[in-house]
Amino acid sequence: MQRILTILAAGVLAFAAGAANAAHTQTRLVLSATAARPGDTIMAGLELRMEPGWHTYWKNPGASGMATKIAWQLPPGVTAGEIQWPLPDKLPEADLTTYVYQGEVMLLVPLKLAPDLKPGALELKAKASWLECEQICVPGSANLTARIVIGSDTKPSPEAALIASWQTKLPKPADGLSARAWWEQAASGDLRPLILEWTAPAASKEADFFPAASDTFEVQPVFEIVSAESGLLRIRKMVKKFEGGWPKEISGVLVQQAGGERQGFAVILPVGNAPTGARQQSLWLMLFYAFVGGLILNIMPCVLPVIALKILGFVAQSKEEPRQVRKLGLIYAGGVLVSFLVLAGIVIGLKTAGHKAGWGMQFGSPVFVVCLTALVTLVALNLFGVFEINLGGRVMNAAGGLASRHGAAGAFFNGVLATVLATPCTAPFLGTALGFAFAETPLIVVLMFLTIGAGLTAPYVVLSWQPAWLKFLPQPGAWMEKFKIAMGFPMLATAVWLFLLAAGNLDKSRTLWFGLFLVALGLAAWIWGEFAQRGTKHRGLAMAVSILFAGGIGACAFCQTPDQIAWQSWSPAAVAQARAASRPVFVDFTADWCVTCQVNKRTSIEIPSVRAKLKEINAVALLGDYTRLPDSLTDELSRFGRAGVPLVLVYPKAAGEPPMVLPAVLTPGVVLEALEKAAR
Amino acid sequence: MKRVLPLLAVLTFAGAAFGAAEIGQPAPGFTATDINGQTHKLSDYQGKIVVLESYNLDCPFCANHFKTGAMQELQNEVTSAGGIWLLVNSVNPKHPSHRSTEAAKKEWAAQKMKATAWLDDSSGVIGKAYGMRTTPHLFVIDKNGILVYQGAIDNQATPDHDPRKARNYVREAFQKLQAGEKPVVMQTKSYGCSVKYAE
Repeated sequence: MQRILTILAAGVLAFAAGAANAAHTQTRLVLSATAARPGDTIMAGLELRMEPGWHTYWKNPGASGMATKIAWQLPPGVTAGEIQWPLPDKLPEADLTTYVYQGEVMLLVPLKLAPDLKPGALELKAKASWLECEQICVPGSANLTARIVIGSDTKPSPEAALIASWQTKLPKPADGLSARAWWEQAASGDLRPLILEWTAPAASKEADFFPAASDTFEVQPVFEIVSAESGLLRIRKMVKKFEGGWPKEISGVLVQQAGGERQGFAVILPVGNAPTGARQQSLWLMLFYAFVGGLILNIMPCVLPVIALKILGFVAQSKEEPRQVRKLGLIYAGGVLVSFLVLAGIVIGLKTAGHKAGWGMQFGSPVFVVCLTALVTLVALNLFGVFEINLGGRVMNAAGGLASRHGAAGAFFNGVLATVLATPCTAPFLGTALGFAFAETPLIVVLMFLTIGAGLTAPYVVLSWQPAWLKFLPQPGAWMEKFKIAMGFPMLATAVWLFLLAAGNLDKSRTLWFGLFLVALGLAAWIWGEFAQRGTKHRGLAMAVSILFAGGIGACAFCQTPDQIAWQSWSPAAVAQARAASRPVFVDFTADWCVTCQVNKRTSIEIPSVRAKLKEINAVALLGDYTRLPDSLTDELSRFGRAGVPLVLVYPKAAGEPPMVLPAVLTPGVVLEALEKAAR
Repeated sequence: MKRVLPLLAVLTFAGAAFGAAEIGQPAPGFTATDINGQTHKLSDYQGKIVVLESYNLDCPFCANHFKTGAMQELQNEVTSAGGIWLLVNSVNPKHPSHRSTEAAKKEWAAQKMKATAWLDDSSGVIGKAYGMRTTPHLFVIDKNGILVYQGAIDNQATPDHDPRKARNYVREAFQKLQAGEKPVVMQTKSYGCSVKYAE
């Protein structure tokens, strides 16, 4: 009986798959089997072949386009499942990214055959419709037919291998990837950053997430890979909300590059808050890292001089006053821990206020950097012996300073100083530990910071209780003075680095003034040390002179009027943008080496009357910096027949009117008149 | 500071160059010329409800609304009630779908447009200032110049549905504004073809 059926089935030769052509896309409907049994599930494939340059769309088309659709007309007993979509290409076009198929693709659909399906030939019909785009978009559709024989046998079709090969291109289940998603921050407006994390092979360096389509929100195409513990991939995506609440769940495909091949993993992830509980067990490891990191901070160039000084203090005191040494050790530790608590408090405060907090973030504050540069310079000068620090101790002099007793306040201050100086030097280990801490609850932040502090003070505290361990050091003597001076140089190097940081926030003339201020500070410190501290006559006068001197230069450096025209960087787009908004545009093409430009700026541009006029007429001020001769500016200058700068343009408010070209040498009157005209 | 400022400016502009229009904020101002050579300035329409429609008839999604006549009906509803409807065509001049002034005038007549004007935005300035992502992509600006709706024309993202049977967000927004209320849906994901901006 079975044999007869098989012969019958084989005898039915009408398995020809349906095919149809639209303008630029050829389609075909194929089945994985020519014959199947009731209860089986067979796979149907809609093949789309696009002409070169043309593309069709994924289930989420992205910013434009439309997903391909399949409308089935199936006989009773056959049910079609959802379309299974192979991994698409991400196509960035201008600012609008779409997810597309280029070349060819096969969309797969499982067809379930009911267990009570009657034997015989079946005709499976589908209408496929799609949007094909190249330079223009054209809708396409095709009515397609495929046939299958229901019987007691399953027979793969000639296309079964092709279908199987496309199945390998489908996103795989994300089992074992421990994928997670959480909001990185509170929303600002309609945008909110989302973090996606999953375990990835070591080789995978590229990662992305292709979101499923949604009407109420959009996971934007731009992404950033953010640092994560080894073995984990973590990316940041921006989510834009159209209406309603923030999504509780994100679905789509995690994409990663491994061995030159892209792999996709289908996920539906609940969106939680930043993870905490899952990593309790690694908290101990992180605390260990924090402690070791703190320990290592001791030998970083920013901290070493301070610590070395302390050790010198030990050498001097350990034999005579072990008790005093222990006490000072604990006070120093107290200074460090209190400073770290303050840092932890700042981090928590910023985090709750919704700001981003990072290690060394205080270096983003120009005032902090300037003060720290001055402080470090003074510490270096102190090490060189230019002047002495006598916080709470006895007055020291060059000969007796090292042997003198250090006061409690001095020890505490040293702890604070060590912490302040330590922040720019993120020691190895500390990076991981801090990255972990900053994403955690306030309690853990405090715990981590205190552990780092404990690591930083550990050697000192241990040595203060066991001075015998310092035996490897030579006897106190003249070498200590030399060592102290040598330690001044790494400190000076730190000052140079900080100066560079500070200069980044200052303009050129202020950088010069700041440098001169540091020199004046050094001179003042010397006057103070030489005449006020060690001198015998006119000590009051010496103090006054040094304070006035440092203060005076400081005032020159920092108290200049900060008022400036709100320059924006010149670009053709910036000009167009401003003109589209019906605003007059003032363009200054200038260069640092162009003397005429600088004179113009001083006399006729960066002056109160012009500033006021620009504000009054709501003009946009654009600065084209020609110092390094960028090509874009060379082109623009030649458009106005200029081989170089200066070139000052004033675009009238009325769109379409040509810009006024101002003369090479300016007067305030010329500029003001042109601006007045532009506003009409 | 000087070094930081240009960088900030660049960043600001990178942001402003695309998608600056935000719901609840003043709509970006512009001045543009229409196909008849007349100048239109957004600020001149203070006190009127303004609808902006990014437009390209070669795009099947736009064509679906025009060939069925549904878009013209909606244009008529808005303009006959004192509103302003501006077609914004941002297709770049090198693209096959770009229309010369003459071709545009013919298309205007053939489609029996009921809009106020067809703005030539082949530079893409208006489109980019508003963040027009697709054709069609619609924007509704209230009488105070505040953007109150941006997104799709309706809730059927296909090039072959019956627009009259779909939920039309622009009509909804316009009627709410007429009644002195805020639109219920203020933002949706626009659908359609890419705009074909100049590079």
